[in-house]
Amino acid sequence: MKRARRGFLMRFALLSVLGMLISMPFFWMLSSSFKPRVEAENADILPEQPTVQNYPVVLDLKPDPSTRRFLGMRYGRWYFNTFFVAVGITFLQVLTSSMAAYAFSRMRWRGRDTVFILYLSTMMIPGVVTMIPNFQVMVWLGFVNTYHGLIIPAAFSAFGTFLLRQFMLSVPPALDEAAQIDGASHWQIFWEVIMPLARPGLIALAILTFLGSYQSFFWPLVMLNSQDLFSMPLGLLTLDSSYGRQTEMIMAAAAMATAPLIVIFVIFQKFVVKGLQLGGVKG
Amino acid sequence: MAETAVRKGKRLPPKAVFGFLLPNFLGFFCFTLFPVIFSFAMVFTNWTLRPAVKMEFVGLRNLNDLLGVRSVGPGSHAGVCSVYAICAVLLLVALIGTLWAHVARWRGVRVGSVALGAAGVVLLAVAVVTGAHHSVWLAGALLILGGLAGALREGEPWRWGWGAVPALLFSVALVGLMALNASMWASHEPRDPRFWQYLFNTVYMMLAMPLSIAASLGLAILLSDELPTGPIRTRLIGSLLCLAAGVGTFLFLLSSGHGNLALMGGLLWIIAMLGFAFGVVSYRTVFYLPHFTSGVAMMILWKALYNPKTGPISTALNGLCDAMGWSWRSPAWLMDFTWAKPALMFMGLWTAAGGMNMLLYLSALSNVPKDLLEAAEVDGAGRWSRFRHVTWPQLAPTTFFIVIMAVVGGLQGGFEQARVMTGGGPAGATTTLSFYVYTKGFEDLELGYAAAISWVLFCIVFTATAINWRFGKTLEVDS
Repeated sequence: MKRARRGFLMRFALLSVLGMLISMPFFWMLSSSFKPRVEAENADILPEQPTVQNYPVVLDLKPDPSTRRFLGMRYGRWYFNTFFVAVGITFLQVLTSSMAAYAFSRMRWRGRDTVFILYLSTMMIPGVVTMIPNFQVMVWLGFVNTYHGLIIPAAFSAFGTFLLRQFMLSVPPALDEAAQIDGASHWQIFWEVIMPLARPGLIALAILTFLGSYQSFFWPLVMLNSQDLFSMPLGLLTLDSSYGRQTEMIMAAAAMATAPLIVIFVIFQKFVVKGLQLGGVKG
Repeated sequence: MAETAVRKGKRLPPKAVFGFLLPNFLGFFCFTLFPVIFSFAMVFTNWTLRPAVKMEFVGLRNLNDLLGVRSVGPGSHAGVCSVYAICAVLLLVALIGTLWAHVARWRGVRVGSVALGAAGVVLLAVAVVTGAHHSVWLAGALLILGGLAGALREGEPWRWGWGAVPALLFSVALVGLMALNASMWASHEPRDPRFWQYLFNTVYMMLAMPLSIAASLGLAILLSDELPTGPIRTRLIGSLLCLAAGVGTFLFLLSSGHGNLALMGGLLWIIAMLGFAFGVVSYRTVFYLPHFTSGVAMMILWKALYNPKTGPISTALNGLCDAMGWSWRSPAWLMDFTWAKPALMFMGLWTAAGGMNMLLYLSALSNVPKDLLEAAEVDGAGRWSRFRHVTWPQLAPTTFFIVIMAVVGGLQGGFEQARVMTGGGPAGATTTLSFYVYTKGFEDLELGYAAAISWVLFCIVFTATAINWRFGKTLEVDS
C-alpha cells in the first residue's frame, strides 16, 4: 500500500513536471503577445503592464502605436480563406474516401485486395516527386492562384481511404447482407447503413483532414501569389518576414492562428485519439 | 431465395464498383499517377522555366551532374572514383542492414559486437587524428552502436555467432575504403557537393529519431495506467489543494521578485490540479498539443524562442552560466552553423514526443495481456526484465510501424523548418533534400534537375523502407 502510494506520487510529480515543460512555450507565446513594445525584449515572461493592443494591431483595426502606421495585414481575410479551403477539402475528401473505402471493404470483386495494396503503396511516393509536375498540371488547367487549385488536388487521399476501410471492415457483414436481401441498392446501403455506422471514423478523418489543410503550407506557397487568397500559414510567413523583429506582434498572430486548433482539439480529442489508434495499429 | 441474393452479392457487376471508386481514382490519376510518370520523364530533360532554353532530351546528364564526380588532378580517372563511391555506398547500406539485423535479433553477436565496437572506436580515432570527413564519424558511430546492441544480449555465455561475420567483413572493407578515401578525394571532387552536404544534413537530423521514439514510449508508459486518485470527492479536494498550492507558490515567488519562477511554479501546480481532477486524459492532452498545433505558427514561436539576443532559451542559459560563474555563452542557435541542426532537432523532439507515436504506443500497451505480466511477476521477474521480455516483444509490431513511418518521414522532412525558420542556412546547414528540390525547382527554375533530385530521394526512401521490411520483420517474429 505504502509502496503503491509512493509510486503514484512519483508518477504524478513526473507527469506534472513534464506537462509544465512541454506547455511552457505556449505560455511564453501567450504572455509575449500581451506585452507592450517596450517590454517585448525583457527576459521576464510575465508582462509588467499587460496590454491587449497587439491583437487589434495585427487584425489591422488599429495602427501600430510606435510607428502610427497600419500593418496592412489582412488577417480576417486569411482566417476566412483558411477555413473556406479547409472545409471544402474536408468535405470532398471524406466523401471520396468513404466511397472508395466502401468499394474496398463492403463490396466483393475479384482483385480487390491487390488493387487496394497497390493503391496504398502509392502513399510511399514522396511529395517532392509529384510537386513540380503537379504544379505544371495546375498551370495547364488554369488553376494557379484560385481556390479550386487549392481544394481539388487535396480532395483525394489514399490515407483517408485506408482509415475508413479499417472502420468499415469492423461493421458486421450481416447488416448490409440483410439490407441487400430487402432489395437495397449499393448506394442505399452505403448511405443509410454503412455511413451512420462508420461515423466515428468519418469524424476522425474529417478532423485530421481539416487540421492538415489548416496547416498546409507547401501547396499554397507554390500555388498562390495574391495576398487575397493567402491562408493563415502563408499570412504568418508574410507577417514574419516584414515584422519579424516585433516579437509581441508575431506572438499575437501566432496565438490567434493556434487558438482555433486548441478549441477543436479539446472538443474532439476523443475522436482524434480513437481514429489515429485504429488507423495505425491494424495496418 | 436469400442465399441466391447473398451469392449474387459476391460477384457484383463491376459498374457499381467503378461508380464508387471513380471520384477517388480520377484524382489519383490526375494528381498522383500522371505526375509521377511525368516527373520521371523530366529527369531525362533539361527542362527549365526560362523561356530562352529549349527543352531537349539529355539522357542521363542530370543524374551524372547530381551524383557523379569529376577529376581535378592530373593522371586520374573519374571512372575509378565512381566505382569507389558506388562500392562505399553499397557497403554502407549493407552495414546498416546488418546492424539492424543485430539489433532486431539480439542473437549470436557477442564476439561480432566486440569486433564491431572496436572497429568503430578505431574509425573514430582515425577521424579525430586526421580531421576526416563527417561520414567517417558517422560510420564509426554506427559501428559502435551496432557493437553495443550486440553486447547488450543477456543470458547466454560468450558464443561465436555467425550473424556477426558479415558485419565483421563489411566493417573491415569499410576501413579499407576509408584508407583509400584521402587519395581518392585528393584528385576528384563531386560534381554537386551541395547534394552530399544536404544528404548529410537530412541523415543527421534523423539521428533525433531514436530519442524521440524512446521519449514517446516513455510518455506512453507513464500514461498507460489511470492515476488512482479515487472517488470524485477526493478528486475535488485534491485539485482544490493543488490550486491553492499553485496560487500560493505563484504569489510567494512573485513577491520575492522571481517572476519567471513564479510562473513556472504556478503552471506546475495548475497542471497537477488538472491531472488530479481528470486523470491521465489531461496529461495526454497537454503532451499531444504540440503535435496537434504544429505548423508555421509553432515554427515562428520557436524562432522567437531561439533568438540569441531576446529569446528565453539563450537568456536562461546565459543567466544560469552567470549564476554558476561559468564563462560559457549560449550559441546563436539557428544562426550558428554547428547548432542550427541540433536546435531544429530539439524542436522536433518537442513536437513529436507526445504526438502520434505516443498514442500508438498507448494503444499497444493497453493490448499487452495482463496475465502475461502477472505470470512474469510471479516468476520473480523484476521491472526491467518484465519490460524487456514481456512488454517490449508485444510492442514490436508497433515499433516496426513507427520506425518505418519515421524513416520515411525523416528522409522527406525538413522543408517547412528550412523555409520558415532558417531559409536553409547558415551556409546550407539546415537545407534538407526536400528543400533542395524546392529551391532548384521554384527558385533556380531548373525543373529537370529538381526532378532528378526528387527521384534520387525516392530511391533512398525506397531502399530504407526495404531494409526496414527485411530486417524489421524478424523483429516481429523473433523476440
